[in-house]
Amino acid sequence: MTAMELQIHGVSKTYPNGVHALKDVTLTIPAGMYGLLGPNGAGKSTLMRILATLQEADSGSVTLGDQSLHSGQALDVLRQKDDVRKTLGYLPQEFGVYPNVSAETLLDHFALLKGIASRAARRDVVEALLRQVNLWDVRKQKLGGYSGGMRQRFGVAVALLGSPKLMIVDEPTAGLDPAERVRFLNLLSELGENSVVLLSTHIVDDVSELCTRMAIIDRGEILLEAEPLRAVAELRGRIWRRVISKEELPAVAREHAVISTKLLAGRTVVRVYSDTSPGGDFEVVEPDLEDVYFSTMSGRIGHRTQVEAPARPERSRRVMQ
Amino acid sequence: MKLWGIFRFELAYQLRRPWPWLAFAVLVVFSFVSTRVAIVPVTLPQDFILNSPFIITAVTVFSCQIWLLIAPVVAGDAAARDVHTGLYPLVSTSPVSKAEYLGGRFLAAFVLHALILLGVQVGSLLAAHAPGANPDIIGPFRPAAYLAAYGFIALTNAFIATTFQFSAALVSGRPIASYVGSLGLFFLSYPVTFTLYLSGLGQRALLADPIGVMAIMNEMMSNWTIVEKNVRMFTLEGPMLWNRLLWLGISLVTIAVVYLRYRFAHRTATDPLSRLVRRLRGTAPTADSAAARTAVSVPQVRQSLGFATHVRQTLAIARVSFWMIAKTPAGLFLLVAFPMFLVLVLTIESQHWGVPLQPRTGYLLTRFLTSPLTQAADFRVIIPLLIVYFAGELVWRERDTGLSENVDATPAPEWVLFGGKFLGLSLVLVALMAMLTMTGMVVQVMASFHDFQIGLYLRILLGLQLPEYLLFAALALMLHVAVNQKYVGLVVSLVAYFLIIFSSFLGLHHNLLVYSGSPGWSFTDMRGFAGTVGPWLWFKLYWGAWALLLVVVARLLWVRGKESGFGKRLQIARGRFNRATVATAALAAGLILSLGGFVFYNTNVLNEYITDGEMVERRVDYERRYGKYEGIPQPQRTATKLHVEIHPSRRVATIRGSYRLVNRDTVPIDSVHLEPAFYVETRVTFDRPARAVVVDKKLGHSIYVLDEPLQPGDSLTLSFDVKLERHGFRNRGSRESGAGIAILENGTYFTNGALPVIGYRPIRELWSAEDRRKHGLPRQLTLTPPGDIDPTVTADAPATFEAIVSTDADQVAVAPGELRRRWNEGGRRYFHYVSDVPINGMDVFFSANYTVHRERWNGVDVQVFVHPGHTKNLERLLRGARASLDYYSAQFGPYPYRFLQIVEQPGNFLGMGVDGSGVVTSGEGTLLLNPPDDGFDVLFEVIAHEIGHQWWGMQLKPAWAEGGGVISEGLAWYSTMQLVKNVKGREALRRLMSFMREPNPWPPIRTGFPLLRAIDPWANYRKGPYAMHALSEYVGETKVNGALRTLVEKKTSSLATTLDMYRELQAVTPDSLKPLLHDLFEVNTFWTFDTKQASAVQTETGDWQVTFEIEARKVVADSAGKETELPMTEWVELGVFAAAEQGQVLGKPLYVEKHRIRSGRQAITVTVSDKPARGGIDPYNLLDWEEGDNIEAIEVKQ
Repeated sequence: MTAMELQIHGVSKTYPNGVHALKDVTLTIPAGMYGLLGPNGAGKSTLMRILATLQEADSGSVTLGDQSLHSGQALDVLRQKDDVRKTLGYLPQEFGVYPNVSAETLLDHFALLKGIASRAARRDVVEALLRQVNLWDVRKQKLGGYSGGMRQRFGVAVALLGSPKLMIVDEPTAGLDPAERVRFLNLLSELGENSVVLLSTHIVDDVSELCTRMAIIDRGEILLEAEPLRAVAELRGRIWRRVISKEELPAVAREHAVISTKLLAGRTVVRVYSDTSPGGDFEVVEPDLEDVYFSTMSGRIGHRTQVEAPARPERSRRVMQ
Repeated sequence: MKLWGIFRFELAYQLRRPWPWLAFAVLVVFSFVSTRVAIVPVTLPQDFILNSPFIITAVTVFSCQIWLLIAPVVAGDAAARDVHTGLYPLVSTSPVSKAEYLGGRFLAAFVLHALILLGVQVGSLLAAHAPGANPDIIGPFRPAAYLAAYGFIALTNAFIATTFQFSAALVSGRPIASYVGSLGLFFLSYPVTFTLYLSGLGQRALLADPIGVMAIMNEMMSNWTIVEKNVRMFTLEGPMLWNRLLWLGISLVTIAVVYLRYRFAHRTATDPLSRLVRRLRGTAPTADSAAARTAVSVPQVRQSLGFATHVRQTLAIARVSFWMIAKTPAGLFLLVAFPMFLVLVLTIESQHWGVPLQPRTGYLLTRFLTSPLTQAADFRVIIPLLIVYFAGELVWRERDTGLSENVDATPAPEWVLFGGKFLGLSLVLVALMAMLTMTGMVVQVMASFHDFQIGLYLRILLGLQLPEYLLFAALALMLHVAVNQKYVGLVVSLVAYFLIIFSSFLGLHHNLLVYSGSPGWSFTDMRGFAGTVGPWLWFKLYWGAWALLLVVVARLLWVRGKESGFGKRLQIARGRFNRATVATAALAAGLILSLGGFVFYNTNVLNEYITDGEMVERRVDYERRYGKYEGIPQPQRTATKLHVEIHPSRRVATIRGSYRLVNRDTVPIDSVHLEPAFYVETRVTFDRPARAVVVDKKLGHSIYVLDEPLQPGDSLTLSFDVKLERHGFRNRGSRESGAGIAILENGTYFTNGALPVIGYRPIRELWSAEDRRKHGLPRQLTLTPPGDIDPTVTADAPATFEAIVSTDADQVAVAPGELRRRWNEGGRRYFHYVSDVPINGMDVFFSANYTVHRERWNGVDVQVFVHPGHTKNLERLLRGARASLDYYSAQFGPYPYRFLQIVEQPGNFLGMGVDGSGVVTSGEGTLLLNPPDDGFDVLFEVIAHEIGHQWWGMQLKPAWAEGGGVISEGLAWYSTMQLVKNVKGREALRRLMSFMREPNPWPPIRTGFPLLRAIDPWANYRKGPYAMHALSEYVGETKVNGALRTLVEKKTSSLATTLDMYRELQAVTPDSLKPLLHDLFEVNTFWTFDTKQASAVQTETGDWQVTFEIEARKVVADSAGKETELPMTEWVELGVFAAAEQGQVLGKPLYVEKHRIRSGRQAITVTVSDKPARGGIDPYNLLDWEEGDNIEAIEVKQ
């Protein structure tokens, strides 16, 4: 039963204003949680919407299918939209609610739209989902009074209706407080094991905590496709750390492949990528997924063709926000 | 300065958006077209000047209405865009003051509106000066006219409208709410103001009109003469000025209140209703119960996406959509406030001539509660305007909320999403129909009328009215979907609506070409639906098929997800072209072709379809080809004999008849010109050898040459067979189709228009000056037709008449004449009507299930035919008829005919008319009048007026000339006044005169031509009778009536003009009163008297000395409106009256004598023997026709 798989092949998308949002994106996404990591404006949402049947790709193909079956059984996501929607759960990056409607009422309405025709079945599903997202106690209250996190969980409940085989979750943790975020991620991790769950985010921790596989995307291109643990392991011994003063940074950046800088108690911590020891003041550190991300973004690993040397600190700061 | 910066930014921002330009373009086109083809519903003078200040102003006023509807988002967007887009927190925390922010935005909106409204003047200018305009009707370019219209109307409206649009959007936080603000102004401007106007407030009601449609148009339309309409400059004065000042003031106050209440603060965007509920309940925003989550298993449920589920989804969306609309202020307005307003309208307007009407269901429905979509005559126009708005709200609902992506990702198909919304809107309309039913019933209960006929309500409202709105709802939804920009969608839908209602002005007359067009249905108590529903239905089915196609298009173009480029949408649409869609589209196309074909077969093959343009061409051809025969010697008809067989159940009638034609000329006649009627089959034979040399069926003229000319004094007999039968149905229903269709199951009515006519008829010539000019026909003076009386009456010489009419056994057939015999034969009823006295005018024929009343008056056969349910007023009619015959015969000469018929003519119209000698017809509506037992009995007066026409119009025939209306209508009302005074007394005459003084339908026009040349209705119907009444009081009733009697005797065989009448009046007027006669008839004189003070003291002898302080003024107005004050030395009545009894204005007259009155203030003292109560100058309104300040209470001093 774990054979669901989403195959994205050569998908490109250019907007009428000339922005090249996706360039020949090819990915294979197996069942389970899959993280799509990238900075703002990388093309994540465009890809998510294409997968959620809400946007058209200029070229390429996307299929959703059961690997073990003949390919004829697989769904063409770009064309068989109606069939995809039957098994799709989608949580958009931003969404509103009808402020004067209660969660229970609106969820019931969505359940009907998802094809749960029987009133009794709808009632059961709505109750179960509202309990699952922990909104059961406030089900009678108007959505207008919900906090951001509660709304987000309501969105998950909507997305979960009808036990979707394909779950698209677009930047769900943006704007959640830490407690909400934890609660939310727990919820996602419980999603069916036989579903494809694609989570886009610009927060590295979201991926490292949840996803078995991930891809890094920037400027419409997939830079890295990997399993987080293995990617981290492969960096072992190549990430070096040094604490410097602010004034030293330009010189260090000139000489070394700086992948990230952080402020720590008034001093600057730089991390550089190097196969060998970059020098005496640097110490080797245990890499984490953030190092994978920044190394990829700066072109040290992955498919980025144009290596930016030396890496620009401004850029690091931007992605670190 | 920040305000300036905000202003500039907003102006630049919106100028780069499409909607201001779209609105501008629409206004240019609208004002251009309405100037050129005179859409503006005004009674234009025949020889109008295209760029007269009047037209420029009128076009500006009406364009303002259009602008009010299409451009509100300019102000709405300026007010609420920041809230709507979520930019608001950034703005409200910036160091900009409330005044700068709102001020800049408001100013920008106002300036944008002002710029958009320039389009109206651009269009007006283009209409006059761009190529294609007729140079004959272009006056000199007068910049002041454009400036005045723009400054006084457009700019003030821009300010007023910006205020309310801006406020509505600001308060609600939604730009589109500005449209609701606009609709509010629109609703006030016409429906509410008009209702208030009719409710007796009169001029004061005009203050309620915020954009000046009623206020300005009423002033210009009714108080300007035809000459003034061409030359007078428009400026703000009188009621117009007050109206503008009042609304500018209201706007300023509104701005101030909104400004003071506005806060730069976080907005909890909810509707007012739930805000109120929350306030009452006191619930705070929801707190999250962060309870530890227990693992819950979600049950696996079956998803079914079959048809049944889709239907349930559709219904669910429909329900949600319905409540969404119903709960908004606009929805509440439509479903609650609007019906309540209608109750008010119905209560006020369910009266005629000041007398209440019985609120019968059929009447309420046809008169007030229904109207075809293609007509936008009155307050009902608000319904389509709201449909447009609701359609936009529904289509944009998910996207406005931000929930669209969630919904679009569900497996609900597009047709469910669209269909659900369409159904939701339909439910709103069904609810509206239910509320309209309630409205009607509430009005009926209030009038203690309990014959509700709920079935009729449901059949008409749900069966006939709802489909009109559903068709439009489908169109509006589809347009909103296709356009995919909310404001632009609104404008495009409105433009589509304007195209529908103005289609006839754009040359689209065939109902197959105008969306939702169809011939109308009708319903009356007598006729029922009279077979009008069938043709209506065929057209509606045809348009229903189009609507189905629109729905298919909407499904294909339905925006799902983020792709909004039109190319991408077409690409997606191609992808959606599945088998079901193709099948539906094919079905719709097939239905369109087959139903359209069937309709076309009926309207254009079975019946002749003639466009208006074609009709004009034919009239031109008719005049060109046969005009040379006008006035040539032709035999005159002296006798008509008919056998008429009416078959109501088969809807067929045949007429077999003959004319006796006599050569009354001095030369032999060698050919007979004959014009058979259109739409019927006619065969003619002569009793002597004759051959047809011209048979022109298209233009309707034939010429028969007699082998042997008809010698002077000789006669011949022309026999003819006519068959009246309808074939299929026609584009415009029964009105257009003349005689052929009027044979109905109950309520058959047709005229001798179905019979052939002798000779060329100038009445068929083109009469519109503009049309004549266009076709190069010689100019001719055109006049107002003489009112009630059909103009054809003068065409035919009087002839004796005899008809045997048969009909089905359960009906009564009517033809002019005394009823000689009645019998049954072969299951049919026969009636033999004869008039040995030659009769004039139209011969009318009826067949219906009538209740018949007959009586004799001095040997005259008085016959009354009314619908069995309408007998309530029978006795009133008879009282009026008897009194009229008595009095008029004694005064103006004997009643010449042997019969008098009063026939209820099928049709809901209110009014009575005279078709020909001895016949008075009355609309069904008239017999629904419910006059109070004491008080003004309008039926007595109106029947007296119509019977007066048996002298004035039937015996004395006015010439087709200026002043003709004074002879027919003026003398008919004068006779009525004399009758009322003599039979019912002075108090009844006072009531009649105060009824005549009502501004509706004819407000007084002080300027214009004098009575001898009168052409406007107020002069004909009001001033003429007033002047005659004054004369009869000054000169003497016997003398004046005697003069009229002489006039009738002198003019038995020729046409009369006001000059003939004036000659007779001069002959009986003593020299001392000649100046008064001159003032009344030869110039436009107006006297104004005012009793300032009246007091009395008792003398020692017990008499009372009464002193009046009075003021007098006399002016003469010329046709251009210029008034000149003249010194006055008139003999005017002064009256003193005893205390009045209940229900009277004046008591017993103690003193009524004429005094010489000069201009200005003066005091007059008279002595009376009894205690005086009231008194004053000109107490009977002989010279001063305005009521109000002539009579005052007399103050008794010790």
